[in-house]
Amino acid sequence: MSRILTPHGQQLLNKYLRLLPQMQQLKDTVHQQIVDTLHEQGVELNAIESRVKSEDSLAGKLERKGDKYRTLEDITDVVGVRIITFYTDDVDKVAAIVKKLFLIDWNNSVDKRKAHELTSFGYNSLHYICHLRGDGPLSGIPFEIQIRTALMHVWSAIEHDIGYKGAVQLPPEFRRQFSRLSGMLELADDEFSRLRTTMSDYRRHIQALVKSGKLDEVPLSMDSWRSFIEMHPMSRLNQRIAAVNQAEIYPASLMPFLPLMELFGMQTLGDVQRMIGENIEGAYQLALAQLAVTDLDILSETIGLQNICLYYVLRQGMGREGVLKVFEAINGKNSYNEALADGIMAQVDSLPLKGNS
Amino acid sequence: MKTTFKEENTKYVMYFEGRLDTAAAPQTERDVQPLNDCMGHDIILDCTKLEYISSSGLRIFLAILKNAKPKGSKVYIRGLNEDLRQVFAMTGFTSLFEFV
Repeated sequence: MSRILTPHGQQLLNKYLRLLPQMQQLKDTVHQQIVDTLHEQGVELNAIESRVKSEDSLAGKLERKGDKYRTLEDITDVVGVRIITFYTDDVDKVAAIVKKLFLIDWNNSVDKRKAHELTSFGYNSLHYICHLRGDGPLSGIPFEIQIRTALMHVWSAIEHDIGYKGAVQLPPEFRRQFSRLSGMLELADDEFSRLRTTMSDYRRHIQALVKSGKLDEVPLSMDSWRSFIEMHPMSRLNQRIAAVNQAEIYPASLMPFLPLMELFGMQTLGDVQRMIGENIEGAYQLALAQLAVTDLDILSETIGLQNICLYYVLRQGMGREGVLKVFEAINGKNSYNEALADGIMAQVDSLPLKGNS
Repeated sequence: MKTTFKEENTKYVMYFEGRLDTAAAPQTERDVQPLNDCMGHDIILDCTKLEYISSSGLRIFLAILKNAKPKGSKVYIRGLNEDLRQVFAMTGFTSLFEFV
């Protein structure tokens, strides 16, 4: 689209075209520095976007309000990065990291979250105008960093789509509807943050109980199961099984066994611990019967628990159905499980199923 | 041991034929190299004509899985005969792969 610019506006646009390669480089540098640092700090993002304003977009801005800008550097959002977090708490955390990484131009930065009047509505993000630290070739070019939550981002996108930026032009009959929605999103953001904090507390509590060995007090859940398997409860059995063929143990997650534990009616980690203890020797015997006649010297870390579950269902008298359930829980439903169940049933006679030892 | 690589409907398919034992492993390892370029393409290891797999063969399958996962590719095993299924089960490998 051709734009009608004043000579001054055209001058700024020409400078933009000259500086474009440096601005692209600046955008990539800033983007990468943020990604690397947030990764190091363990901050998970919903998304990070970066861009250099297009020539057409800048020309449009200069056409509308070119006289406002004395130099190109006065247009602070030519290079922009948007960081979208999951939680409101992380907006502040990311902001603190950004402040350490870059020089902030406080006169032009704004925390739009705090800028609202009590009676106004809207749901906005934190905007920092920054420069690279040091006096390198890119440090003279300003860039904007916006930090917002995913819900703020949704609000902003819808606001843009509807075409009402801020409350001023909005017909009064819609003001209330907008206010309710922005309030709801703000509340939802706060509640998600609170939920995360509460769940972190719960996880720490569960981890402490697991570490102290009070397993009967720990209900079986995804978190408690994770804490339990982090203690490698199967390592001794796995090592014993591996010793049959001097096998290597390939690391694998035991998380898929959680539904199986629930299927067995285990209520607490104490129940699981007892079940393991009662079936550990049988699980070893099952592995021995299978592996001793082979030269297989690589095993998955799941082998010990898999055999414990198989031995448990056999001892419970659940027969082929039980064995099939174990394979379905571990492998998902597929046509192979039937044959695997038959293979185990063929070995039942060689297993000490009546006693515990 | 013979391997054949084909692209079928955006999937990378490797056909295995014969005995994948220790002796055949080094050549097979080279033959499966095209799978390293999967970049999001799902992989099917077709074992319909595979007669035997040793620990070396399992390690090759694991290496394919390890390479594919970070690229967002899934690895499916197809057509395992009954003996080979038992090998996968007794090593705990059934929980690592998906079977079709």
